[in-house]
This record gives sequence, structure tokens and C-alpha cells, in this order.
Amino acid sequence: MKSFLQYLGIEPERYQLAWISGSEGQKFADIMTHVVAEVKKVGPNRKLREEHE
Amino acid sequence: MSDYTAKAREIAKKLLQDGTVAMVLGWEKGDEPFVSAPAVIRDAADVDRLVVDEYCIHDLATLLPDYRDRSEKIAIFAKGCDSRGIVRLIQDRVMPRDRLYIIGINCPGMKDPNEFIRAASGLSKAKPADKAVKCLYCQYPNPVLYDEVIGEIQQPGEDKRFAEVDKIESMSADERYEFFIKEFSRCIRCYACRNACVACNCRTCIFDETKPQWVGRSTDPVNNILYQIVRSMHVAGRCVECGECERACPVGIPLMLFNRKLIKDVDKFFGPYQAGISLEDDAVPPLSRYRVDDPDEFM
Repeated sequence: MKSFLQYLGIEPERYQLAWISGSEGQKFADIMTHVVAEVKKVGPNRKLREEHE
Repeated sequence: MSDYTAKAREIAKKLLQDGTVAMVLGWEKGDEPFVSAPAVIRDAADVDRLVVDEYCIHDLATLLPDYRDRSEKIAIFAKGCDSRGIVRLIQDRVMPRDRLYIIGINCPGMKDPNEFIRAASGLSKAKPADKAVKCLYCQYPNPVLYDEVIGEIQQPGEDKRFAEVDKIESMSADERYEFFIKEFSRCIRCYACRNACVACNCRTCIFDETKPQWVGRSTDPVNNILYQIVRSMHVAGRCVECGECERACPVGIPLMLFNRKLIKDVDKFFGPYQAGISLEDDAVPPLSRYRVDDPDEFM
């Protein structure tokens, strides 16, 4: 899916997948912080949005 | 291919007369000389309607899901691509193997009736090609599963299946996005691609559901592309590369660019894997089974 979205021109940073168990609170927090930081780097998404002209 | 028709009629007649099968799925001549339409023959007296010529491009395997809730035995003509579709349907338990009598056709490549129709209409100046686009890089011209077979063994075409995909991959992300949005802005959401697809055999299709409605139904470029993304992912690892979706598309969207990309990825991450070439247990599509060592990258 990630490779496919990349193929469509979507930045890979926007789609991330991780396996986190219910007991891994710290891991969840770390990964979310990481995702937010990555997405902030690429900026707001303009692609695949309904208002696209 | 001139002797194919006579042989096909002979086989069909024998099967219907001795009661081996209740019906034969084949092709018959349509309104134009360059159209061979799917035909259902139930009576041995009707076998002379059958033809097998270079316009028999329709994938008959897509008709099989219509007969899934019955019990009669069916004879079906199958080119290389069709036979891979049949293997997939058997694996998906749409049709048990013992209900089918498969008459294989070693296929030298077909001509695309759509190109001839466009040329005859005068609206298109393009000259119809000797070989349909979908047949150009065919790797399985000979049926992979059959009870008997017609014709000489054919050589597979040149393997340039992924040349177009590689070209897209070499573009920049923004170029790719603009390219696809432009192509998909033409989509009229007729769902011909889904209906022509042998991998699309779900009884209830997600795109027909309205509660909840998973994908917007308006024909704007983004909803169109989302529709095709979902469809491509659903047939990933099941697509037998028959190319019928792209051929059925009335507005000429290069749908195989999606399917071939996923074929390439499935082969890379789970492979080597080709859909619908074997009925063995380990030939189940990678996305239909679970293994501990499945890679995360595909997700």
C-alpha cells in the first residue's frame, strides 16, 4: 500500500504502519510523535482531496 | 486459426450429445465481422453457432460467477489468460473444478474488436492493430489448466510487461500525481472495468454498498482515483493480467498501470508469485493467506 501510494505521487511520510500492543504505551507515544514530526516536514496535503480542481 | 472453429464445434457437439455437460460457454459471431460475442449453447443442434477466431477476445471466465449457485456441468473455452481466471475462480471456491470441462485454446494473440469498431465508425483515424494491446506481452498464451486443448503450442511474447510501470516510477512524485489525476478525470464510473474483471467476483461489491458508502460516487477526479485504488488493492495478487479492464474502459484509462504496479509489488514482497497459474495449495494469493514471515513493507 505504501509503495502503491508513493507510485500515485503521495509522500511516503503520510502513510506509516506500526504494530503496537495495548500494553506498549510508550511505544505508541514515540511513534505518534515521530509520525507528526514527519508529516510536519512535508507540510499540508494537497493531493487526493475532494476540493481538488 | 482457421481450423479452431471446426474442432471447437466437434468437441462441443460431442460433449452436449453424450450429456457430459449441460451447457457450453463459447463465442458466436456478432453483428459485425470483427465481433465474436460470448455465447451460451445448451443444445447440440446449436453448436454451429460457435466460432473460435482471432476476435474471441472476451474472457469467458467472467461468466462463470453467474452460474455459481447451480449444479450443472459446464464446458468452457479458455485461452491462456481465461484459464488463469478459471484457476482463480476455483481457488476462490466460486466454481468447483469438477463442474467444469475446460477446452483450452492455444492462443496466438487476439485482435481487439473495439479498435475495429472505432475505425469502422469513422470517428477514429487509428488503424486497428494486428494484436490487441493486452496480448502484446502475454506470458501465458497456452492454457494452464484444461481437459483438452485445441491448436499448436504458442510462444510467449516479449516480457516487457512492466516497461510502462517503470516509466511512471522514474517520474517525480508530483508528475505522477498530475498524470494519474488527468487520466482519471475522464472516468465516468460506468464500472465496466469491474464487470469485465475475473478477479471481481464478490457477491456484494463494496462499490454497490450505500450503508456505509465507502467511496464517493460522484465523478470527480479524486473519487474516481480512490475508486480505482480500492479496486486495484482488492484484486492485488488475484489479477491474472488479462487486461480486460483496460480494454473494456470506454474512455481509455490505462488501468493496467495500477494492476501491473501491484503485480510487480506482490511479486517483489511475497514472490516469486503469479496469480492463477497453479491449483496447488501454495499457489493461493499471498494476500489471502497468512504466514509468519509475511513482510510488513507491503502494508
